[in-house]
Amino acid sequence: MDGLISFFASHHAIRAETVLKRHGHAARLVPGPRELSPNCGVALRFEFARRDEVLPLLAIHRVRIDGVHEYRPRTDGWEAAPR
Amino acid sequence: MIYFDNAATSWPKPPSVAAAIREQMAGAGGNPGRSGHRLSIAAARVVEETREAVARLFHIDNPSRVAFTTNATHALNVALYGLIRPGDRVVTTSVEHNSVMRPLRHLETTGVCVEVVPCDANGSIDVGRLEDRLASGARLLVATHASNVAGTILPIGEMAAVARRHGARIVVDAAQTAGTMPIHVAALGIDVLAFTGHKGLFGPTGTGGLYVREGLELPPLVRGGTGSDSAHEVQPDFMPDALESGTLNVAGIAGLGAGVRFLIDVGVEAVQAHERALTTRCVEGLRAMEGIAVYGPADPVARCGIVSFSVAGASPSEVGLLLDESFGILARTGLHCAPAAHRTLGTFPTGTVRFGFGWFNTAAEVDAAIDAVRQIASWARTPSNARLRNAQWTA
Repeated sequence: MDGLISFFASHHAIRAETVLKRHGHAARLVPGPRELSPNCGVALRFEFARRDEVLPLLAIHRVRIDGVHEYRPRTDGWEAAPR
Repeated sequence: MIYFDNAATSWPKPPSVAAAIREQMAGAGGNPGRSGHRLSIAAARVVEETREAVARLFHIDNPSRVAFTTNATHALNVALYGLIRPGDRVVTTSVEHNSVMRPLRHLETTGVCVEVVPCDANGSIDVGRLEDRLASGARLLVATHASNVAGTILPIGEMAAVARRHGARIVVDAAQTAGTMPIHVAALGIDVLAFTGHKGLFGPTGTGGLYVREGLELPPLVRGGTGSDSAHEVQPDFMPDALESGTLNVAGIAGLGAGVRFLIDVGVEAVQAHERALTTRCVEGLRAMEGIAVYGPADPVARCGIVSFSVAGASPSEVGLLLDESFGILARTGLHCAPAAHRTLGTFPTGTVRFGFGWFNTAAEVDAAIDAVRQIASWARTPSNARLRNAQWTA
């Protein structure tokens, strides 16, 4: 899973995981990389290629997200993806 | 033993409640939302599963609008201190619990005008009379969904519509009705719903919460660590974090979740029908008896699973003691933290004996209680009866 969503609060991270799994998407909660968001401890890994389905799904369920990021190994870290 | 004090706290709880608490303590023991490790995530998941279950129960679209508190009193304090400002007019009813009246009487000393709409001797409210009080610019209506003394159900949907018509918000105290009556927050037009976890929802004591309507900003009563927005020294303004400072009672919330899921499986309608059948049986049995006064509405549909009564010639505390010691029946006696409600019913300062029925009670238990009250009433008719004399205190 090469996509990562950061959140303002873990409440929304857990809800995001529940919503995505319920709709058949791969999702896994991980410790949030500090360089991305200081807001809460957890972030959600997902399939970046499916972001056009995933992000509207979260919006419909009123899950608040902080940012969406893509992992690109060559740049040695996470990069913010255009929303 | 017959437990008829479910209006104070429900007992027994479904076995899944204690199991969920044990499981949380043994296996999901991290601090929810504070760290990223697996035990922290597991604890956060427990909290969010309960939040979702509560949202489902009250037909709340967005679970983020539910915040956990330690009980309904705490939730009501958050709502009242958050929504009321000096100079505001607040309208309430004369059957409120002290969880509403004490914050309001305190707010009154800070320049808030509190108007109490009198209910009749059955605890019922005249919505027209309520509207008169709301019409002159009240900011808030706060009302119980059902009286904890007489069991009288207030027409919250109608009251909310009247409040909205006059630009007032409505805060509902669902301490007696959450889990025992269907509650659809949007259909009823409720702005804030305060609930306790340990009564109709079958959770442990020390749990409760509030629902805050989408779009309504409720400032916190307590500020502190939330695990979110940690770089800022200012309290987050988003739900539920805004209202959930400090580490939550995760074990309790685990139990609450199991209780709510039990309730969803059984169906709140089934619980309501069961309690209504027991209540009707009890009211009919007691009303047919000499020397017993039963309070509250005659129509069983107009009350929740509560029956308050008194026995001529015996004080409520004497009756309670005899019920417990001679018959193994556990009831609550006295004023039930609701002096205003007792004044309304005409039972202040003596109070009443209260039976609070629950899902696990049976018709046979109600029949046994009716027989016990009949016996106590006959003892009370004999002034020299040793059982009553023994229970009396002399000055």
